[in-house]
Amino acid sequence: MSEITRVALDAMGGDNAPVEIVKGAVEAVQKRKDIQILLTGQEGVIRNELAKYTYPEDQIRIVNATEIIETAEPPVKAIRGKKDSSIVVAMKLVKNGEADAFVSAGSTGAVLVGGQVLVGRIKGVERPPLAPLFPTLTGVSLLIDCGANVDARPSHLVQFAKMGSIYMESVMGKKNPTVGIVNIGAEEEKGNALVKETFPLLKACKDINFVGSVEAREIPYGKVDVIVCEAFVGNVILKLYEGVGGALIKKVKEGMMSSLRSKIGALLVKPALKATLKDFDASEYGGAPLLGLKGLVVKTHGSSTSTEVCNSIIQCVTFKEQKINEKIKAAIQETQEENKESE
Amino acid sequence: MEFEKLQDIIADVLNVQKEEIKPETTFVDDLGADSLDIFQIIMGIEEEFDIEIDNDEAEKIVTVQDAVDQIKKAVE
Repeated sequence: MSEITRVALDAMGGDNAPVEIVKGAVEAVQKRKDIQILLTGQEGVIRNELAKYTYPEDQIRIVNATEIIETAEPPVKAIRGKKDSSIVVAMKLVKNGEADAFVSAGSTGAVLVGGQVLVGRIKGVERPPLAPLFPTLTGVSLLIDCGANVDARPSHLVQFAKMGSIYMESVMGKKNPTVGIVNIGAEEEKGNALVKETFPLLKACKDINFVGSVEAREIPYGKVDVIVCEAFVGNVILKLYEGVGGALIKKVKEGMMSSLRSKIGALLVKPALKATLKDFDASEYGGAPLLGLKGLVVKTHGSSTSTEVCNSIIQCVTFKEQKINEKIKAAIQETQEENKESE
Repeated sequence: MEFEKLQDIIADVLNVQKEEIKPETTFVDDLGADSLDIFQIIMGIEEEFDIEIDNDEAEKIVTVQDAVDQIKKAVE
């Protein structure tokens, strides 16, 4: 049997906590024997939830944490002030080597701050990016960064491109993944100062497959595998994508229900439509990893259901098996040596 | 002694040489630290010296000497 992956899971974070989180943990251990889950949070509450299920009990352990970090709390203050919160306790398990990974649907800010401060960055990583997988017409793309660093520098984006390529190749099995930088046109001279400065640096990288600019409208068609941008842009793309998708589906449903004829048509098309839309369901792909840290930190959607929680946990196994952190460390070290040589 | 230990923490967090870190060195202007870096250094200090630095006091830290003073004050 393969090595066990130990995942610290924030039982108290997210809109559907602890019900869906605990359910997701149970689903994960029912599917995989090579996972050990450490559920952090209020012991009594978690115990009551776990009592609803039959599962291999030796694969789930509760680690008591009495406090909860709320989404609206300022992240730095919360991490400093709530040392017995489910997020801080879980991250310390990763820091101390008692867990390989941390998964949370809770406060994004607290996860980002805690990841950097408690788990810590790999030496040489300037900023750890948050990188969700994005369903597209051709499969999935990685959007990097979408939440961690709103004032990125060109050197940060170059590191994002390298870390994103490693992730797509090792975790998603995409050979020689294509990399594009989000821009407002295809030409090299287009874009704001950050994009213009970063473009030639990415072009000069020998260890990535940089194909140039990618415009926002090309993203859903899967033009590139790794979509590089600063967090502000990434976050706007992500939210707009979700919004447009949701609105479009709502409109189609309304149209289908508008007359008896369309209702009959809807009934006929429903199975095919359901199967198609499943490909575009982000919960199928797990959460977004915060790359470049000494341990794995995965942020899942605040509204995550058990499916997304379960997939996020399973995603950690591949991350560990593929030794992503070691690969990132080697890539960053190589860049630093190249930089020293060119100085 | 506090200064040497602090040098180690800062060098580790900011990926700089220990020799660059002097008492008069400023975190933001000289070492290019951002607020998260400073926060990480303060957490490192608290762990290393087993002390707690008050949030208001932490915000006043500008130079490495300021941090040394905070550590001494907290240890006493």
